[in-house]
Amino acid sequence: MTNRTMTRRDFGSKVITVSAAAAAASLAAPAVLGAAKARVVVIGGGAGGGTVARYVAKGSDDIAVTLINDSPTYSTCFFSNLYLGGFRSFESISHSYDTLAADYGIEVVIDRAAGLDGNGRTVTLANGDTLNYDKAVVAPGIDFKFDAIEGYGPDAVETMPHAWQAGAQAKNLKRQLLDMEDGGTFVICPPPNPFRCPPGPYERISMVAHYFKSYKPHSKIVVLDAKNKFSKQKLFEDGWARHFPDMIEWLPLDITGGVKAVDVASNTIITDDEKFQASVANVVPPQKAGQIAQDAGLADESGWCPIVPETLASLQVPNVHLVGDAIIPGDMPKSGFSANSQAKVCAQAILAELASKQAFKPRFRNTCWSLITTDDSIKVGANYEATEEKIAKIEGFVSQADESDEVRAQTAAEARAWYDAITADIFG
Amino acid sequence: MAALKGSVLRPFAVLLFVCQIEAQAEDLYAYGEYLSGECLTCHRLDESAGQIPAIFGWPEDKFVEILAMYKHGARENAAMRNVAASLGDEEMAALARYFASQTPKESAQ
Repeated sequence: MTNRTMTRRDFGSKVITVSAAAAAASLAAPAVLGAAKARVVVIGGGAGGGTVARYVAKGSDDIAVTLINDSPTYSTCFFSNLYLGGFRSFESISHSYDTLAADYGIEVVIDRAAGLDGNGRTVTLANGDTLNYDKAVVAPGIDFKFDAIEGYGPDAVETMPHAWQAGAQAKNLKRQLLDMEDGGTFVICPPPNPFRCPPGPYERISMVAHYFKSYKPHSKIVVLDAKNKFSKQKLFEDGWARHFPDMIEWLPLDITGGVKAVDVASNTIITDDEKFQASVANVVPPQKAGQIAQDAGLADESGWCPIVPETLASLQVPNVHLVGDAIIPGDMPKSGFSANSQAKVCAQAILAELASKQAFKPRFRNTCWSLITTDDSIKVGANYEATEEKIAKIEGFVSQADESDEVRAQTAAEARAWYDAITADIFG
Repeated sequence: MAALKGSVLRPFAVLLFVCQIEAQAEDLYAYGEYLSGECLTCHRLDESAGQIPAIFGWPEDKFVEILAMYKHGARENAAMRNVAASLGDEEMAALARYFASQTPKESAQ
């Protein structure tokens, strides 16, 4: 791992100036000229950004890859619910960039990317340094619409954590659950679509229920949903009825009218007609693409980033690609698996353009495993293709309600093996 | 934005067209290497296996046979059936060629 950041001056002499005509004549101009490596700067070291960095770096020796992340370790959102449920340690869901730096030659910069200038093709770091790029990949994940729920601003997240970015927020929620007395009420507010990890809130409910059943059996879970239906709903509801009877009360949008406000001082969540006093409140607000995507003009009025399906290139800023939760993903859900899949298509497009590598028809896939309780896991997945219009679903599958205990246990074991594989695929 | 969309998309449309023709010209290994990215989200390229088996170093005919069993419903796993549904004969052959050549030693790169 290196903390050294390259400034414009460090590598300015290596960046080739190619006229527009020359660039148009050869898509692989930097590599062909041979005087310098093409430079790819990746912002965000999660499932999308980490995978793009690794696949571009291992795909060509003619491209210098810089990966910018604001922390030296990355804690995955996927499997953070298992940490809350007591199935995983925090360390087991946290990963460093050491292998990407040591084995793949990726320049890892630990800082916040403060800005991106699409015209000048530069990324500015919070410390003031500037990095030039031939291609930038922006993978900032999600940010929150803090103006959507009255009283739930950035200051509220310490008392009423969203825990929808792993790390300090997940630790905060876990501590609150551990501190809660038996007989308390956990109130969770799943967000409206679209949001990161569609089955995530319901896996979280399952994991908290599992913890309560073991340690705080008189406690209750109230779900104030911003939606009237949710991912794998019948499978989750069947699992809740079997494993946690009478513990979970799910209240859809049509019943409550949705969360309108919170009062942090009293840990109260307010809907149209009712106030819910929480022992532990988990408010997951409406979401949008990460802040740098907003600031750099990559997001549209929806708050998310439109892309070219077959290359993940930005539709709004040239020479910028986007992957992961920040994009408008067509039929794909926002998930770590999706981000990893999109990243490989994106890496191929960049390798084709900057290093003349062969490119094939883009293919996308997602699978989401969700744990309901010990050795009872369900999954949903699909294949996708790039059409002119969007990333479109081809065919999919979902777990069945009548599956045997043995199948559910195999699915849980499969999820654990998947976690080991995808994190190796992202972080090396 | 419409103008920009055209300028971004068009070079790639040409590029992809050319490259698909090249793929048909038997660069099976390169095609397999590209396709392998999908497998490596779940299958590790080292000894660690667990519920999801390692798939490198297999004879090519065995690799294709097992994928075909998923495709035709002779093996159960829903995720693998879905994977196999997306693979034609050329894709299976390309993946078999690529993974047959991989060893755990090479997994670091």
